[in-house]
Amino acid sequence: MTLEYVPGDSLAHRLDPRTKLLVQIGFAAAAYAHTTPRGLAVLTLLAGGSLWAADGDPVDLWGYRFALPVLLAAPLVAGATLGTPWFRVARAETAALASYRVLLLLVVAAAYVRSTPVRDSRAAIHHTVPGRIGAFLGVGVALVFRFLPLLRRDLLAAREAVHVRGGDRLPVHERMRLIAVAGTNRAFGRADRLGTALAARCFAWNPTLPRLAFRRADYPVLALGAGLLATAVATTV
Amino acid sequence: MITLEDVTCRYGAHDRGEDDGDAIDDSVLAVDDVTLSVPDGEFLVVAGANGSGKTTLVRTFNGLVRPDSGTVSVNGTPVSEDLVAARAAVGMTFQDPRDQLVSATVGGDVAFGPENLGLPREEIDRRVEAALDAVDMAGRGDDRITTLSGGERQRVAIAGALAMEPDHLVCDEPFTGLDEPARESVLTRLRERHAGGTGVVVVTHDLRDVVGFADRVVGLDDGRIVVDGPPSEAVPTLSDIGVRVPAGFDAAGDDHAGRSDEP
Repeated sequence: MTLEYVPGDSLAHRLDPRTKLLVQIGFAAAAYAHTTPRGLAVLTLLAGGSLWAADGDPVDLWGYRFALPVLLAAPLVAGATLGTPWFRVARAETAALASYRVLLLLVVAAAYVRSTPVRDSRAAIHHTVPGRIGAFLGVGVALVFRFLPLLRRDLLAAREAVHVRGGDRLPVHERMRLIAVAGTNRAFGRADRLGTALAARCFAWNPTLPRLAFRRADYPVLALGAGLLATAVATTV
Repeated sequence: MITLEDVTCRYGAHDRGEDDGDAIDDSVLAVDDVTLSVPDGEFLVVAGANGSGKTTLVRTFNGLVRPDSGTVSVNGTPVSEDLVAARAAVGMTFQDPRDQLVSATVGGDVAFGPENLGLPREEIDRRVEAALDAVDMAGRGDDRITTLSGGERQRVAIAGALAMEPDHLVCDEPFTGLDEPARESVLTRLRERHAGGTGVVVVTHDLRDVVGFADRVVGLDDGRIVVDGPPSEAVPTLSDIGVRVPAGFDAAGDDHAGRSDEP
């Protein structure tokens, strides 16, 4: 399963992408300002709500499965010591809360990606950041969103190609080496082909972007985003 | 009109110098001194075996490949002088449509080209609707690309090219990997575009699907044009260069031989 835009008519789909960007920024700031279990519990409800508002469900988070082992391992690594007491619970707890914050951010990001077409993201950045810098950032975001799903599919294809010829019986490190080499080759090839496809269709730095407009539903969500940002600033300062 | 004059394209290293001062050329010659004109509204088939230079040749039409020597012009303007005009005038679909589709949804992908041309939103919407209608996918703009069959992806790729409203539509091996109904569907769309006045260029190593509709067939071998003429003249010589031709093709002038499974 790939984490990418899914057409729909959910609340999140109807929101202006700038609203969703503000909520993401506010949420990220709040997550790093409110680090207590109680604060994170409130943010958990918000993160779950954002995924629900995008018509998503926990299955969507399967796209993050490669990040989850790192998030789970972080508290163990942070808590471990080379001598007695061998494991410090307080350090592990701090790292676990940090990992959990990252997980919450990924949930909110999943809601955004699921409900926002690439060109809307590009338009939001282009409108928010003026001039060439905005155009440059918009193109960067658009290319990342276009390239990553393709690259991920190529990696999966490389893994399947290894498996169908008995490669699944090889040691893990050997499989990793094969897939890494094949994946790197495919990534370069894919970048070439994507570049050719964009060129064939007159890729432009300043295309006609979707019209963006705040609607009535945007205002309470904008207030939520601004509120999250404000509480984060107030807590930090 | 697309015009090529003395076009040569090479891949790989050029003129690698040796210590003794002599130079050797270890590049691959893909297109060798080709001169060709493609008038507006023509249904042209570029035929040849794998590696004969077909794809490289047609990619010079809109500047995706820049020739090492020679000139390519579209409507009288050298491609190198105005790439955007060339790419708007010469729409192209790739051999594997997955290489061409850059958006998550059908509508978003078809709109991608017109958006890059900077057209007004209303005009983009009109073109997207017309292009999807032309490939029999009207009302499917919100479908996800990943859920489409191979034939549907090929049709979306064609729609993406048509939305640019090109003078010429170049399709590189458009029938590869398609089953019979999908081939028939794509062929029907191409015939309709041709009937509507758009020039169509089909690149293929298998003439069976398209020879009946071609105005002209160009045969390529080792990057050189070995035959150029109406199907009745060109087809009989093409099997010699590894092109699959319809069984029972009548060299005396029956340009509408049906598709056959015989090699």
